[in-house]
Amino acid sequence: MNQNTDLLTLRSVSKSYGTVPVLHDIDLSIRDGEFLTVLGPSGSGKTTVLRLIGGLEPLTSGEIHLDGQDISRMPINRRPFNTVFQDYALFPHLTVSGNVGYGLSVRHIQRKEIARRVAEALDLVQLGSFARRFPAQLSGGQRQRVALARALICQPRLILLDEPLAALDLELRRQMQIFLKSIQREIKTTFLFVTHDQEEAIGMADRICVMEAGHIRQLGTPHDLYYRPNCEFVARFFGENNLVAGKLGAVQGELRSIETTLGRLVCSISDQPHLKAAADGASAYAAFRPEALHLADAKDTDNRFSGTISDMAFAGSSSVATIAAGPDNAAQRLRLRVPSRVDGSALKSGETVSLSFAPHEGHLVLA
Amino acid sequence: MSEAGSTQHAERRLSLLVTVLAFALPVVFVLVPLAIFLGYSFFSVDQGTIVYGLSLGNYVRFLTDPVFLPVFWNTIVLCVSVAIICILLAYPAAYFLTTLKGRWRYALLMLLLVPLLMSYVIKIYAIRSILGLNGFLNKALVALGILQEPSTLFVFNMNAILLTLTLLLIPFAILPIFLSLERIPQVLLRASDDLGASGLQTFLRITLPLSLPGVASAASFVFVLAIGDFLTPQMVGGISGFTFGRILYSQFGTAYNWPFGAALSVALAVVVIAAILVGERFGRNRGTSV
Repeated sequence: MNQNTDLLTLRSVSKSYGTVPVLHDIDLSIRDGEFLTVLGPSGSGKTTVLRLIGGLEPLTSGEIHLDGQDISRMPINRRPFNTVFQDYALFPHLTVSGNVGYGLSVRHIQRKEIARRVAEALDLVQLGSFARRFPAQLSGGQRQRVALARALICQPRLILLDEPLAALDLELRRQMQIFLKSIQREIKTTFLFVTHDQEEAIGMADRICVMEAGHIRQLGTPHDLYYRPNCEFVARFFGENNLVAGKLGAVQGELRSIETTLGRLVCSISDQPHLKAAADGASAYAAFRPEALHLADAKDTDNRFSGTISDMAFAGSSSVATIAAGPDNAAQRLRLRVPSRVDGSALKSGETVSLSFAPHEGHLVLA
Repeated sequence: MSEAGSTQHAERRLSLLVTVLAFALPVVFVLVPLAIFLGYSFFSVDQGTIVYGLSLGNYVRFLTDPVFLPVFWNTIVLCVSVAIICILLAYPAAYFLTTLKGRWRYALLMLLLVPLLMSYVIKIYAIRSILGLNGFLNKALVALGILQEPSTLFVFNMNAILLTLTLLLIPFAILPIFLSLERIPQVLLRASDDLGASGLQTFLRITLPLSLPGVASAASFVFVLAIGDFLTPQMVGGISGFTFGRILYSQFGTAYNWPFGAALSVALAVVVIAAILVGERFGRNRGTSV
């Protein structure tokens, strides 16, 4: 289990249903032992990626390599991967242990051995006492864990999870996220997890692959995606963000300026050579997170502008102010997040305030 | 206020009426006739008139007379055979239907069900002429060299009844099996593939067990319809093809012994109810969704 070696590689994989293309020339490497999340809105093709890898559907073109060997045409039942389906797909006529042992019994493994490994797998997912129940007698979370046990008992090289938590309520979903992550660490198997829920993705993934409209937009750690989105889509899709359009200006070391309706802003370009290389005057966005924005004080000289608070929304631990900024304090809507206080926020609706963000907390995205 | 109260009152009376009707109709048209039949089975006949005195004579006669029990038993065996043959033929047909896509699937299903729209008697005539001495079956077998000369094996005996009932009732087997196969979520089959099962393993371990409820209801449908049929044996059975339904029919017709016929019907009803209960027991899924 070396996280630096590639387990599975997709090489210019495309998929069309009839004449409708759903994946365009996807290249993707999955590292051995990692928890990779494929994140995207519905219709982005994320589930199709999973179905192609699992062998549930044939490729239109391209290749899938496992340990360097082309498995694009290997039938589904011979691929060393197992899937946890979105609605679990448990066999209703088999008990929990019948379901979990299914993958072993179709391989004609001895009964004793099956019983031993089923007990082991059920212990792992904490369902030891449910072996003789039928799926209909289980709750959603329990079915979910049976589906997981059924997949991992075959000791697959890769476990594919197709939005497995979508049907669960919020509290259970949180628990299952922690549970899945801990199991993944324990069995050290590669997980490919498909979801449209970015919070889920941030919480569990080693790396996240963001997809949109059949393309991979960005692949990186959650931290990378959050602080160094490489395109407008990722910047907007991944977490709350303020995007201000403008034209690129001069490079000053690790910083670059951008002329916007809020005036000249300065943002970080560290480790992003393409931003350094972009031409002067190119269209781009300055992006800064609502929590990076703050009320300006005397020592804030860069990235200073004024705005009018148009709305205050209490959101538990923090409050979000909606701000109209730019010329006449109207052109640009921004969000400002401040920690909530019991005696209310210092910010009041209708107030005009001076705002700022630190240059290293702002980033640039080419338009 | 009082006006509102009176409309409310009227509404309540209407809903009461509907409820009473909903329960009364089956009682009047199903349960009462059955009860009358049950009552008749304890009467007897003397010189062509019914004697309204209660006795177990009819049942004693049914159980002790050497004629009735063997026919009763043979008829049950016949109808079980019909049910089994229908299932064996209908299952592959229904399975094939579910492998078809969209429009074709239902077009072909409709085609298989068209015979249900035809008159029962006409169908029996048609089948009889196919099976007869100069019928299509004999001509085909002779032409193929399988038979030297036309055979009387196919008509006016038990074989004829078996063949005819099978042909007549097969749509009733296809439909429930098709429905149960169609209701199996495709994702379960994909899950089975995904876990490493071969096509045959997936069929034997997932598809077949999940379609058994449909098979059970198909079997009980066919059995119940076959055992209640007296017209088919009458028309293609000849002398040797004697079934319980024919005896029953004759008690209400030529023999004019309604009380004895009623007793025989009760015996038949017991078997039918048992068949329905068995079908229902196995036809019930384990109360499971996916």
